[in-house]
Amino acid sequence: MRSDPRLRLPIMLIVALLVQTTVLARMRVWGVMPDFMLLLAVAAGLTAGAAQGAALGFASGMLIDLFLPTPLGLSALVFTLVGYGVGVANTGVLRSAWYIPVLVAGGASMAGVVLYALIGSVLGEQMIDGHLATIALVVGVSNAVLAPVAVRFVAWSLGSSKGRRSSKAGAARST
Amino acid sequence: MAVYRRSRRHRFFLVLLALTSVTVLTLDYRGAGDGTLESVRQTARDTFAPVQAAADWVVSPVAGFFGSVGDFGDLRSDNARLRRQLDEARADAIRGADADRERRGLLQLQGLDYAGGLDSVPARVVSTAPTNFQLTITIDRGSDARLDVGMPVVTSAGLVGRIIQVSSARSTVLLITDPQSNVGVRLASSGEPGVARGGGTRNPMPLDLITTEVPVDVGEPVVTSGLERGLFPAQIPVGRVRSTSAPPGALQKEILLDPRVDLVRLEFVRILLWKPAG
Repeated sequence: MRSDPRLRLPIMLIVALLVQTTVLARMRVWGVMPDFMLLLAVAAGLTAGAAQGAALGFASGMLIDLFLPTPLGLSALVFTLVGYGVGVANTGVLRSAWYIPVLVAGGASMAGVVLYALIGSVLGEQMIDGHLATIALVVGVSNAVLAPVAVRFVAWSLGSSKGRRSSKAGAARST
Repeated sequence: MAVYRRSRRHRFFLVLLALTSVTVLTLDYRGAGDGTLESVRQTARDTFAPVQAAADWVVSPVAGFFGSVGDFGDLRSDNARLRRQLDEARADAIRGADADRERRGLLQLQGLDYAGGLDSVPARVVSTAPTNFQLTITIDRGSDARLDVGMPVVTSAGLVGRIIQVSSARSTVLLITDPQSNVGVRLASSGEPGVARGGGTRNPMPLDLITTEVPVDVGEPVVTSGLERGLFPAQIPVGRVRSTSAPPGALQKEILLDPRVDLVRLEFVRILLWKPAG
């Protein structure tokens, strides 16, 4: 049975939110958990390009913001920028070696964490201290591990065949 | 040409989304819109709460297993330590009972609220907040159970934190180990007031004393002071002095506390129905 493609995106976001708030929130290393919602933005940027990365980043960021004590919109802003950045830099890398998306996901996640802390600090949240390096590192590594799952998940939600094809087409056009 | 137009459209899209985020951020930050955003947030939390609870029920054995793999080595030493602490605690309790009665009388004279005499509501810890930056937990009671922002959260061991967000079925608690948390405290032996700051997860809490020339013993208990305009009522245990050191040239001793409550593995808490004045 094939699900309605229009329903896939909301389903994916809600499942991701559940996984983040229940499973991943308990799997902490040095008190730090993977950031799957951020990873969705990265994966969207990887599979479908800058616009999709920004859009999915905005959606997943706004969704997780509802459940955070930090100001509403902070994650949305950061995830939008990260999704877009990954899309601009890496459209089409899925076709290259398997480890490239993994490395990109790790690096982009680290960058996202640091950006989040920077913007949060501007807003008066106390986020930059010795722990930030640990957070960035653990999120980077654990997100890299989860990247293959996230990429498939996002590709499915964006309509897998369509997502793949347009990313290939984008790569072909930009080269 | 096509590429150029495409990327320009993408950039426009990015700017649009980023500006939307910034707008929402600003509105939320300034508390504008008569709490509309806050009520959206509360509705989302309450709607999601049962789904989350169900999912949590399904995954908790698995996640618990993963969580406990790392802890297993600690159990043996934990056990020995706990036995020793139990002995100490029994002795303390006998001494404490008398001091407690005396203390209650004194606090009553000063018109301070005493934590032992307050009504409380039990709650279960649903999850840690899905963030790496703030040390918060979510509990399964909200404004429906008369909870409100500012109320202190404790366990039988001592202080956990205070409520910073409330929806009708859920509340968010800022732990005392969060770097943004400050707790007005008192050294149990000298009665000297100070402020215990959060030092991050699993880290000891730095304690700043108001006066510098006070003898501080390692292992000394520290309780909330409940001084006027304090965020917490008096006499909630906070921690024990872990170490003191006087760096050369420093005006103040560097004092570190170990929180009494194991804030990493909380399951049940109590919320004191008490709000800070003002």
